[in-house]
Amino acid sequence: MPTDTVIATHALTKRFGDVLAVDGLDLDVRRGEVYGFLGRNGAGKTTTIRMLLGLIRPSAGEVTMLGRRIGPGETSVFGRVGYLVETATAYPNLTVRENLDIQRRLTGAPKTAVADAIERLGLSQYADRRADHLSLGNKQRLSLARALLHAPDVLVLDEPANALDPAGIVEVRDMLRSLADERGVTVFMSSHILAEVAHLADRIGIVHDGRLLEELDRDELAAKARSYIEVRTSDLDRAEALLRAVGFAHVEREGDTLRVFGAGERCPDIARALVSAGLELTSLTPTSEDLETYFLRLTGG
Amino acid sequence: MFSSVLATEFLKLRRSKVTWLTLGGLSMGPLALALFMWIVREPGRAAQLGLLGTKANLSGLEATWAAYGSALTLIVGAGGMLLLSFIVAYVFGREYADGTAKNMLALPVGRRWFVIAKLVVVAAWWAALVVAVLAEAFAVGLALGLPGFSASLAADIVRNTLLAAGISYLLAPAVAWITAAGRGYMPPLGFAIAMMALGNVFGKTGWADWFPWSIVPSMIGMVGSPVRTLPPGSYVVLGLTFVAGIAATIAQLRWADNVQ
Repeated sequence: MPTDTVIATHALTKRFGDVLAVDGLDLDVRRGEVYGFLGRNGAGKTTTIRMLLGLIRPSAGEVTMLGRRIGPGETSVFGRVGYLVETATAYPNLTVRENLDIQRRLTGAPKTAVADAIERLGLSQYADRRADHLSLGNKQRLSLARALLHAPDVLVLDEPANALDPAGIVEVRDMLRSLADERGVTVFMSSHILAEVAHLADRIGIVHDGRLLEELDRDELAAKARSYIEVRTSDLDRAEALLRAVGFAHVEREGDTLRVFGAGERCPDIARALVSAGLELTSLTPTSEDLETYFLRLTGG
Repeated sequence: MFSSVLATEFLKLRRSKVTWLTLGGLSMGPLALALFMWIVREPGRAAQLGLLGTKANLSGLEATWAAYGSALTLIVGAGGMLLLSFIVAYVFGREYADGTAKNMLALPVGRRWFVIAKLVVVAAWWAALVVAVLAEAFAVGLALGLPGFSASLAADIVRNTLLAAGISYLLAPAVAWITAAGRGYMPPLGFAIAMMALGNVFGKTGWADWFPWSIVPSMIGMVGSPVRTLPPGSYVVLGLTFVAGIAATIAQLRWADNVQ
């Protein structure tokens, strides 16, 4: 295990009866890294996060966080870990401030930490409002404030952008990025907003059916994402046949466009072939797969 | 660290309506008893108020401090067993109902301290209820002017009520375990009702001293005549039930999968 490893799993497996939720997962998340954990519904993301936090016990394998093996009775490491699992929850009869005060007392954070967390998550005007009177977005902010309150070295966040408005998503993204860059906080986050992960994560793990399909950093994603030229024309059938005839072997139909793979910089050749055959060319766009397309291709979506 | 956990457990009750609901529920007992006593003592006036039919159902009840005290013990003992289960179900079950259980399981605090702190909160809540209801019962009884009051009878009423309340509390950890295992309010309430029913069955079949949930009903006279002095074996059974309940609740939080 590298010396800067903060979260590591080895052959991590979880079985619920006949269902294999997580299957031999090996992860290695390093200090100061934002790790995006992607997967479709039921892929095993939340089960993995619960095992990282010791909320459920692995059927096999192990989790190590900050050098400590996570198991029954392990508590010392959690003073340095903040987390949010699945939905944002709080004590409904207590105010935002009181909910955070509970976290402060349990983590031994200083008294000023509550006001700081309220300020940081933009909850000042709701500080004395009961949690059951908060909007979903503000409940999410409260849960994030709870995770950040004791200035943890590791953040484990399950869908941190849930219920946030677009401005809130950007705000949280910037906050997590600066925590990683300036304080060296390690962020392990799952998300179904792939653009969000693509913007924020240094490394991405894609999990499917409980197994880690691929792990890649930004450069690797850029290298693996397929490039193609997107063609819109008046007659797709004729255009497709024509392009194949002039040597573009890999042409795919996608809605009202054609995607020409392996065409490199050959936009002029495509334009010339179509126009000279009398086809009306509406648009010709060199395109690269984004994370979403790559993810769907990998997971069979 | 335990003091911090305990402080947070008390903080969680702030603005909770359930604390007042339980006080309201239990305090109805002495008021209802006082009404019965008044009907027995003043049948003429009760008839004028249309309460004579009720009087017919109260034959055998005397309007005395002794009868009032026995009935009070019965109400706190029998009603209290259910009410206490309700309190335990609330204190432990709300963490699952509100989805907050996961927030207290990955902290730099041993999970056992949450179990113990919650049981301390339940004990304080229950003790406050019982003391409040005893104070209310004495005030109502004295206001009614029931005959036969003496310091020794008052001491007996207090002793029997506190003993029934204390024994009921020893059964609370088992209800806490069912709440943690069932992750919600309904399993512990179902468990409490089932145990009360079984307690009656065992009480009538000669096992009242040995089945934990028969001991209070037997003591307060819910099953046969009141048994005011328990055999040592009953205390051993109650002690074991208490310890086993705590151990099982801690084990549940420590070893079982906490999936919400």
